[in-house]
Amino acid sequence: MNLAIRDVRQHWGRFILSCIGVGMLLTLVLSFAGIYNGLVADALALIDSSGADLWVVQKDTRGPFAEMSRLPEDIRYRITVIPGVRQASPYIFYTVQRPHDGRLLRFVVVGYDLGTGLGGPTRVVAGRPIAQAHYEMVADQKLGLRVGESIRLGLHDYTVVGLTRGMVGSGGDPVVFFSFQDAEEIQFVKDNWAIRNARQRALAAYTRALPAQPTLATGLARTFADNPERHNVNAILVRLAPGADRAAVAASIDRWEYFTAYTTTEQSDLVLSGSVALGRRQTGLFRVLLIIIATVIVAQIIYTMTLEKLKPIALLKLIGAPNRMIVGLVFQQSLSLGILAYLIALVIGNLTFDKWPRRVIVGPADQLLLLAIVLVICLVASGMGLRRALRVEAGTALTG
Amino acid sequence: MEVVRIERLTKVYGSGRTAVTALRDASLTADGGELVALLGPSGSGKTTLLTSIAGIIEPTSGRIRIGDIPLYDDGWLVRDLPRFRREHLGFIFQSHNLVPFLTARENVLVALEINGHKGRAAVAIAQELLDYLGVGERQHHLPEQLSGGEQQRVAIARALANAPQVILADEPTAALDTDRGKSVMAMFRQIARDKGSAVICVTHDQRMIEGFDRIYRVNDGRVTDGNALDHAPATAEQH
Repeated sequence: MNLAIRDVRQHWGRFILSCIGVGMLLTLVLSFAGIYNGLVADALALIDSSGADLWVVQKDTRGPFAEMSRLPEDIRYRITVIPGVRQASPYIFYTVQRPHDGRLLRFVVVGYDLGTGLGGPTRVVAGRPIAQAHYEMVADQKLGLRVGESIRLGLHDYTVVGLTRGMVGSGGDPVVFFSFQDAEEIQFVKDNWAIRNARQRALAAYTRALPAQPTLATGLARTFADNPERHNVNAILVRLAPGADRAAVAASIDRWEYFTAYTTTEQSDLVLSGSVALGRRQTGLFRVLLIIIATVIVAQIIYTMTLEKLKPIALLKLIGAPNRMIVGLVFQQSLSLGILAYLIALVIGNLTFDKWPRRVIVGPADQLLLLAIVLVICLVASGMGLRRALRVEAGTALTG
Repeated sequence: MEVVRIERLTKVYGSGRTAVTALRDASLTADGGELVALLGPSGSGKTTLLTSIAGIIEPTSGRIRIGDIPLYDDGWLVRDLPRFRREHLGFIFQSHNLVPFLTARENVLVALEINGHKGRAAVAIAQELLDYLGVGERQHHLPEQLSGGEQQRVAIARALANAPQVILADEPTAALDTDRGKSVMAMFRQIARDKGSAVICVTHDQRMIEGFDRIYRVNDGRVTDGNALDHAPATAEQH
């Protein structure tokens, strides 16, 4: 006869409420594992889908994701001719936040070369990939734009021709893919008001420097204001020829004084050792705290349930119940509470994690780990109740 | 046949100046099939005597024998007291005597399971005991759904579950009105006769004195008397 279930049967409403409470706490424990997984997946989404073997960035920087890197776009031609390189392609990466249709859109702009496809979207779930070098974009569906919708960026309107799924930057912002020419233009080309403003400021400066040569001053101001260094990119992505030695090609690029080459693995490590590592420590800390809180709460519940049963426990002892029966009663209740709460956590997680603002990825390993944690929590939490139950004197049943 | 023999049992709580003697050289005997009363006012030592026989509190000195097993002789002679209790003793109390989260049948079944009976055989025994005590139809009710008298009958059924040599009852009729109290006493008499158990009742309920075969008066820790009344018990086969 299972005494634990029979006791719960009498207070099932309160027991289920306790399970739901602990279950929601366990949902948070599970979510922190999922949030960390999501952080990693988000951080690596662009790197993993880039198709690049090497990332060439500005010398001694850890760009383009961990820090700013800027290098001339035409360096791609020099890299392409290095033995072992099959393709070299410009890559642009920056974050923008623009108003659109009454709301603020924040997204990561990725500019890539349509010819090589390196760094571009690998899978379009709706619409089509970008087919022309200008005024088209492929947005992640998380941004909430529809195929055919246009948004104003800088001087031009850009139309969504396709949608991706799960393509976000390391901060969780959805990615919008453009041709690298458009990405450059959105970033660097000024609108008319900005050009006029820049001309005036430059003219004032050159007029002070060249008071006797107003024509030259005007020309210089116009050149300075109208032609910014717009042909810069953040990285050159390199795809190696079959059989090429990755380290050797990277070393040959590193020998140039102006660039640093990272393998894709190194690029991933750079990202993960930065903000993601901080996120890992933070979520890990929260997770430990939540596990401690869950243990304390389960212990309190089991202890209270045990206190309410001291009289029946004394009675059972009086009629000769062995200690294992008392231990079973307390521990099985703790286990029932834990397992039910765990199942509730899984259900809540499965139903809601998709709707959380940041990506939450929970795999079977995380679920099994949580189950192990729950079993340990039940074991630890039932200790206090067990100690109290085993100390009850059988005579208490007689003497009250 | 003598199933309980207590000789010069003494229990002293505490020590030195704070020592309180609850039992002083108490002696009594009870035969199988006999209804024995421990009669006395509150604080006289009745419950101490009962719990000593039950192996719940350890006496200070003296001897206890249950059946042919020496239980205590200036120290416990039986190592596994819970096992001794479940194999040889049955308990009935004034109140709080059923496990509240178990139905009437489960309350009896749990005693059977503790004693190693399981499955359909255990259910059949529980059913038989509940029917015997007239509460078979209430077997699926929780204690809170039963009247005081019904609860007491279920408690008696549980006490009988392991066919004990001795049934120890602590104020079994105190919470019942006179009619129900007499009904319980009649039941004890029937059990003593049918099952051959010795029933030792702690009571200060003067209404029920007539029902006992032997009455011991407990006063200030001393047990006196032990008059055997006229109606001698008839032993019968044990359950």
